[in-house]
Amino acid sequence: MIDLLPHIINGLTLGLLFALIALGFTLIVGVMEVINLAHGSLFAIGAYFALTVIGGGWFAGTPFGAWWLSLPLGLRYVLALAIGPALAGLAGMLLELCLRATYGKPPLYGLLLTFGAALVIEELIRLVWGTGEQNLALPQAINGAFLLNDMIFSTYRFFAAGFSIAAILAVWLFLERTSAGAVIKAGAHDSEMVRALGYDLARLRLLVFGFGAALAGLAGVVMVPIWGLRPHVGVDIVIPAFLIIVIGGVGSFWGAVIAALLVGLAMGITGAYAAAWATMSMYLLLIAVLGFRSRGLLGRKSALEN
Amino acid sequence: MSKIQVSRRGLLGAAGAASTVSLFAGPWKHNRVWAQGAAKPIRIGITADASGMYANSGASDKRGMMMAIAEANERGGVLGRKVEFVHIDTETTAATGSRVAERMISREQCGFLVGAVHSGVANAISQVAQKYGVIYINTNSSSPTEAGQNCHRVKFVFDGNGTNFAKAAVKSAIERFGPDWMLLTNDYVWGHDTAAATKALLKEYGGKVMDEVLIPQGTRDFTSALLKVQQRKPGVVSAAIGGDDQKAMRQQVVQLKMGDKPAWINSQQDWDDVYGLPIENLFGVFGTTWYYRLDLPGVADFVKRYQTMYPETAMRSPGNLFYNGYMSIRELLGAIERAGTTNNIAVIKALEGHKISARDRMQHFDATIDAQTHQVQQTIYLATANKAPKEKDDIFDVLSQAKAEDVRDTDSAKLCKLESYEQTPTFDA
Repeated sequence: MIDLLPHIINGLTLGLLFALIALGFTLIVGVMEVINLAHGSLFAIGAYFALTVIGGGWFAGTPFGAWWLSLPLGLRYVLALAIGPALAGLAGMLLELCLRATYGKPPLYGLLLTFGAALVIEELIRLVWGTGEQNLALPQAINGAFLLNDMIFSTYRFFAAGFSIAAILAVWLFLERTSAGAVIKAGAHDSEMVRALGYDLARLRLLVFGFGAALAGLAGVVMVPIWGLRPHVGVDIVIPAFLIIVIGGVGSFWGAVIAALLVGLAMGITGAYAAAWATMSMYLLLIAVLGFRSRGLLGRKSALEN
Repeated sequence: MSKIQVSRRGLLGAAGAASTVSLFAGPWKHNRVWAQGAAKPIRIGITADASGMYANSGASDKRGMMMAIAEANERGGVLGRKVEFVHIDTETTAATGSRVAERMISREQCGFLVGAVHSGVANAISQVAQKYGVIYINTNSSSPTEAGQNCHRVKFVFDGNGTNFAKAAVKSAIERFGPDWMLLTNDYVWGHDTAAATKALLKEYGGKVMDEVLIPQGTRDFTSALLKVQQRKPGVVSAAIGGDDQKAMRQQVVQLKMGDKPAWINSQQDWDDVYGLPIENLFGVFGTTWYYRLDLPGVADFVKRYQTMYPETAMRSPGNLFYNGYMSIRELLGAIERAGTTNNIAVIKALEGHKISARDRMQHFDATIDAQTHQVQQTIYLATANKAPKEKDDIFDVLSQAKAEDVRDTDSAKLCKLESYEQTPTFDA
């Protein structure tokens, strides 16, 4: 058990990061009824813009770049945490405008469009930032490791997990305690009624998509110091995100969080004892959950089933 | 006078068939008129990865080849013929490697194939090359299988392999850091075979493997494996992790402050995998075949030529991958000149057993292209992080150099069964 404990803790921290990625995904599926296959690409956009903010980007080598890099790394990291998600959110809103032509048509149209968008974004990333593996520099305060009862843990991993908990709670409070959140939830259940009540459904969808994309971008900034950054990181990440929302139940907020923790645990433990099965473990978990409950852990009949 | 009537449909059909034959006939089809045309260039297919986990490495590999080709053309070509190349991305994927090799031979009319980082890709390319008799130079992949059970008459391996590097490092590491070792092994052919070589040497010198963690390719989160290392407390961790995976691993080892203890032995460290990383990420001892600051004749000029040819490249100094790419083309073209022909069998014979002086290779000791395995037996260097760099790129501190015969991979020689010359299709490239 003592041997297992660090891997359980490691798995839970990983799960919290997965939850952050899945949140925006589940929000968009719930409200928009669109499985956004470009969600991982929005994750990548957030991370790449963060890389630019932290490293001086296109201004590196110019006087402005030199001045920028003279700013404390902590400050640049905080700015990256704001700018990366904001630009990912804008990209998401642009994608939603493109998606409008597919509303009212079979879900396959939206699926194909977002898949195409993912490919385009990946190529754009190659053009702008190159093909190589990159990594975000971290401020000293959240870098390094600490010992706890002879178990060693990454400081940044705990920072990221804490950040994820805060973000999950903030999104939950927004959805549960604000009128805007109530409208979003209502839109997920009965969009026609929301429109009848005088809300601009098109605007609502635009904002929800932008919000979900910003969450993806935020996950990108927080996660890439662990996962590294490469043009196809979006494709790598969209698969676990998709599995998580299916395991949790499509559109279920807490279902996604619980599923993410389970996926993190499965990957953390298999990573230590049977590493070759680490990726496979999340598929096995999917099969196990759907074998018992076809709508996922906390899923209810969703709009996608109509 | 007979009159042959040809319908338009028949003509189109014949043209289609002819173009199909010409597309797939390939350079192995013996055609003297075509082959002897003085103006016909020597055409080389560069099979370097441009995407996937070895994209950066493949880019350096390719730059090395391009510089050697440019220099050959500046000298007036080879046998009076210009040297041309075509590059297609093998995507660090074996299946793509096979398709690329087929296309380069049958459609692009390449008489020689050069380039590889991933051993699975190299193996796939070499199988296609052997089928057609096309000489294939594996520049940078270093699984012992490449010159062992997967060797071929047409394939020549220019990098040191996992066994060479392990032989250079294991014995002294046991003496210095103790017999308890843990292995982190990339779960594919290069990782497995490098680990197997390390295990055999551990057995020979009295070390023992406490545990081995197989790391799937593409792994980015090494925390589970590193926590296991921390729990088992080995004296040495021997890591055979390649490409971008290794970059991710190094960063996470440093984050967990595990770079100094336990001791780390990294079978091989490619320049591209650590270039630009903070110096603390270069923990441990690792093997390489070349370093841009070796104090040897020709090195400084070589570096200058690189910097002149690639002024825009972010990597301002050439590394071992570039070096291997460059050397492989130079030796291939040299063999063609020695053979006085581009006949593949003659060129193979000119490469087999060829001795290269230390001066020509800018290494400490002479090298030989092993006639039995087709691997270049060369100087192997052990290095670690340079804590007192003379300039920004001076990140390696070369600790030792081993002669080729002291680190020779004798196991591969037992496993390698080259096809006979008669079994290898012949053609003039």
